[in-house]
Amino acid sequence: MTISVWRFSHLMLALISSIFIVLASLTGMVLAFEPISNQLQDYKVESMDEVSLATTILNLANTYDEVLHVEVDNNEFVIASVLTNEGESETFYVNPETGEKLGDIIEKASVFKFATNLHRSLFLKSTGRFIIGLVSFFLFLMAITGIILIAKRQGGITRWFSKVVNENFEQYYHVLLGRYLLIPISIVAFTGVYLSLEKFDLLPESDIKHSYPEVVEVDVVRTPISEFELFRSLKISEVKSIEFPFSEDIEDYFFIKLADKELLFNQYSGDIVSEQPYAMVQMASQWSFVLHTGSGTIVWSVVLFLVCIGLLFFIYTGFAMTLKRLKNNEKVSNSIMKDDAEYIILVGSETGTTYTFATLFFKALITAGEKAFISDLNSYTGYDNAKQLIIFTATYGEGEAPTNAKQFGKHLDVTVQNKLEYAVLGFGSLMYPEYCKYAIVVDALLQQHKEFTPKLPLFKINNQSQEAFKLWVRQWSESNAIALDVKFRDSIKDQKSSKSFKVMERSALNVDRSFLIRFKPQQRVKFESGDLLSIKINSDETARLYSIGKLNGDILLSVKTHDKGLCSNYLNDINANDMIKAGIQRNYDFHFPEYADEVVMIANGTGIAPFLGMISDNKKKKKIHLFWGGRTKASFDMYDKVIYQAFDKKYISSINIAYSQEQDEQNYVQDLIAQKDEFIANHLKNEGVIMICGSLEMQNSVLETLQNITNTRLKMSLSAFENMEQIKMDCY
Amino acid sequence: MMIKRYFKLIPILLVSAFIGFGFSFKPKESHYKCMIQMTNYTGEGAYIVISLLNTEGEYEKTLYVQGDDDEWYFDITDWWDFYGKRRTNLDAITGATISGGERAISVIDIEDDKLDKGYTIRFESAVEDQEYYKDDVEFELTTDNVKGKTEGDGFIRYIRMMPQK
Repeated sequence: MTISVWRFSHLMLALISSIFIVLASLTGMVLAFEPISNQLQDYKVESMDEVSLATTILNLANTYDEVLHVEVDNNEFVIASVLTNEGESETFYVNPETGEKLGDIIEKASVFKFATNLHRSLFLKSTGRFIIGLVSFFLFLMAITGIILIAKRQGGITRWFSKVVNENFEQYYHVLLGRYLLIPISIVAFTGVYLSLEKFDLLPESDIKHSYPEVVEVDVVRTPISEFELFRSLKISEVKSIEFPFSEDIEDYFFIKLADKELLFNQYSGDIVSEQPYAMVQMASQWSFVLHTGSGTIVWSVVLFLVCIGLLFFIYTGFAMTLKRLKNNEKVSNSIMKDDAEYIILVGSETGTTYTFATLFFKALITAGEKAFISDLNSYTGYDNAKQLIIFTATYGEGEAPTNAKQFGKHLDVTVQNKLEYAVLGFGSLMYPEYCKYAIVVDALLQQHKEFTPKLPLFKINNQSQEAFKLWVRQWSESNAIALDVKFRDSIKDQKSSKSFKVMERSALNVDRSFLIRFKPQQRVKFESGDLLSIKINSDETARLYSIGKLNGDILLSVKTHDKGLCSNYLNDINANDMIKAGIQRNYDFHFPEYADEVVMIANGTGIAPFLGMISDNKKKKKIHLFWGGRTKASFDMYDKVIYQAFDKKYISSINIAYSQEQDEQNYVQDLIAQKDEFIANHLKNEGVIMICGSLEMQNSVLETLQNITNTRLKMSLSAFENMEQIKMDCY
Repeated sequence: MMIKRYFKLIPILLVSAFIGFGFSFKPKESHYKCMIQMTNYTGEGAYIVISLLNTEGEYEKTLYVQGDDDEWYFDITDWWDFYGKRRTNLDAITGATISGGERAISVIDIEDDKLDKGYTIRFESAVEDQEYYKDDVEFELTTDNVKGKTEGDGFIRYIRMMPQK
């Protein structure tokens, strides 16, 4: 399958460098503990910011025979090299305030020595250093390509932190964690490259040259060190290191390093002999070291540790994703030549998910004995015997074509085609402003083309909804008079978590052939209103899902029976005290939003079930407004007991009902929304949440109405609210 | 009679005992402050070994080692031929490696009777993946030289020595 240059580079770089990145991450995890364990040592003195350099020097000079060197390390520990009164040269941590010894220098533990060596040179000296430097550079490029890929996936860099579409575990967390870790990873990779360049001497020349003055033999007045102005004003915490004059000769100087410059001092007068600021290159080296090693900061060391874990996770999920995609793509093989096929399926897919749906449809056609052919949109060409063109396409980036569909527009113009019917199925997410944009473009292109006539209107599928896809397949089946059986791979999870439930009560069928049924779980099981009950009658059937309303710890379902509905008829046949087996599927995206103060609930028909549970449980008396659409006044009767009880307790603020089949008023629920446009606009503006449950047709109409309201009244796209988790949907 | 004889022997015994002890007395040592100033080379920290060589130019004693990771000691090949066989304990006379542009000050002990006898003092230097200088600095151990400054030929810019009070 065709993939974009960014995705390709991202993958290739990972393939080349993964082994080294795994090694570097594992050793990096160990090394992150070095600065942490050093920081936990108690050699830091609280008064670091108050003690002057003069105090420290004076105290040291009084305690020891001679002071050679004083250094303040990244942990803010003060290290002094002295000659003791016994004439021994010693180096240890000191208290800058008193000059007394605090402890011996922390020796680098052998595990850190080992890890450091492996981390930076793989025990291969220069060769190893070169490899690691190069891998760092590759990692940096991967971070860059990763940033581009996320920006494209999210639909622009400004939408960086908007919600991620959840396709599967690997993809979701690769993107989700990627958004947060890409910045620290770039930093680690970049500083790694920088430190390598420094080691290989490839940075611009930046050595500081101090000019030593000609020594003039004059009788200098000896100013005591404690009187040196700079020594008195500098706090010990501002100093990096100070070298003491080797001898009492006047040409031996004090040499002080501060964070940003070096100074030479006359040891008699205290005059500054030379002062040189560090060049950018040197400052960058210091920063690179601290940022790459975490030296001196526990917080950053922890971040570095997380980066290492993250890298391992990215390598795992990245390759797992790639393998999955390869596997998905393998299965598509055409047994019928393009010129023999009657149904041509063309796919525009960036990550392969759309391909999965197209393949399901393709296989169903083949099973039904139809001549079908499947390929990329890019490979569009003339088809001798084709009757219909069926296009499945995703949208990439900011409304652009996926990589394997980029050429379609061009090919469409130049290809001579027989008369064809067509149907376009768009895959996308309502979280993007450019929802199914490319599918819309393709549909428009075909509409303008004189050889094409539409068979079905453009159909959009949100977040890979299987329910929506099934609905479209049903529509297609009907209009083409071909019975199709689309087989989704069922998740094994449903079977495992199957539990027993006892039927407590059920209502009689109402005018719409719907009824309420209440179950009591027989085992401990966690669920909430908005979760799904999955019921499977035969093992070869796909499970049927019902939205749960939780009422006093019981499960309340609202079921509509269909003539051929196996599951609904099965439920209709059971009575109080019967037992059934079913599984609970948590549906966290459709739980009652605890963060909202005001919630609008929109449902039609049996979609009201989860709302019945949520309303009855609204003990905090948050403002809830219910909008419900049904066929007749009698349709609502079986719900009114629960609703009016809640109304008496002030658990619900308003109830708005539309009837589509009554004589005097024929209304749909979206019409109610349109009438209350000002209220809905204010509700969204005030961070209120809208929940939608019911049929997909209702969902689409309601979303269209909402889109109109936000466009005209708020001058904003509905997707903005979608991203703020203000729109929640569960439709079928 | 016999006892008197023994008494006569006492001074002799005493003298010879003194002489015997006298020979086993450690020769007097002096401390010297020694500073090594490195050139501005780039790369890893340098290993530097300070040794005392006898009049034949053979290693006699290791005075100081800058660099405490002994797995790299074999890089300092000439000295390794001497030290590697014996592996005397160097703990008291080792310091850290010294990087380009840095200086290091150590205290070394030299027996007084080696001064002005044709002995030499040698500074060998080696840097990972770079050169090894067998005699970066080498000079005769004279009363004047231990108070002065000597330029280096390799990684060492110069060394300075000064007797400690």
